[in-house]
Amino acid sequence: MTAVHSLELNHFQALLLFAVVISVAFGFLGRRRPKDRVKYILWSLFLFLLVGIGVGWAMFPFSR
Amino acid sequence: MDEPSQNPANDGTQSAPSIKDARSSGESRAVAFGVAGWLLPGLGHALQLMWGRALVVFFAVGLLVYAGASMKGNVFRRQGNDAFDTLGYIADMGTGSFYLFARAIETSGADVSHADGDYGTRLLATAGILNLLAALHAFEAARGHKA
Repeated sequence: MTAVHSLELNHFQALLLFAVVISVAFGFLGRRRPKDRVKYILWSLFLFLLVGIGVGWAMFPFSR
Repeated sequence: MDEPSQNPANDGTQSAPSIKDARSSGESRAVAFGVAGWLLPGLGHALQLMWGRALVVFFAVGLLVYAGASMKGNVFRRQGNDAFDTLGYIADMGTGSFYLFARAIETSGADVSHADGDYGTRLLATAGILNLLAALHAFEAARGHKA
């Protein structure tokens, strides 16, 4: 029996999904003014991606 | 010389209980909003007319739960084998009623032998923790703390 819904994402897509959703949620919960929210969301998204990709590259030598 | 009050003790006893009652009522209301936010993501904010936050929390938690379960992530059950399973169960239960939604989607069980399933497990746990954070935010907002 297979799942009704099946979603297949590669590593980057999964990272992007996580980063976008969490950034938007944190932006709305943590900031009140729309301008502050946008700035927070973009900055948070950038840092999520930077750190995620950075850690990925840092682990590359140990993957072999 | 004027006396400050005919009976200062009475003033104290008249105002203190009413302040205490109001504070207690406010606390109860805040707890109710927090619990509502946990049971249905976003409801704690919706009851306080914070529509933007309510919608974002609802869809963020819903999307994470849907993606996590669709990727065959592990939806932990109460009967865990070890402490990590218990922690996973607590995190998953953080999604409130969406836990049942995850169980309903994932009809064929988890498959963590692939990266997708592992990511799905993390997304489900993230959804739970995010919803607990949002419920706490609704609780604090109801108590009048700046949010």
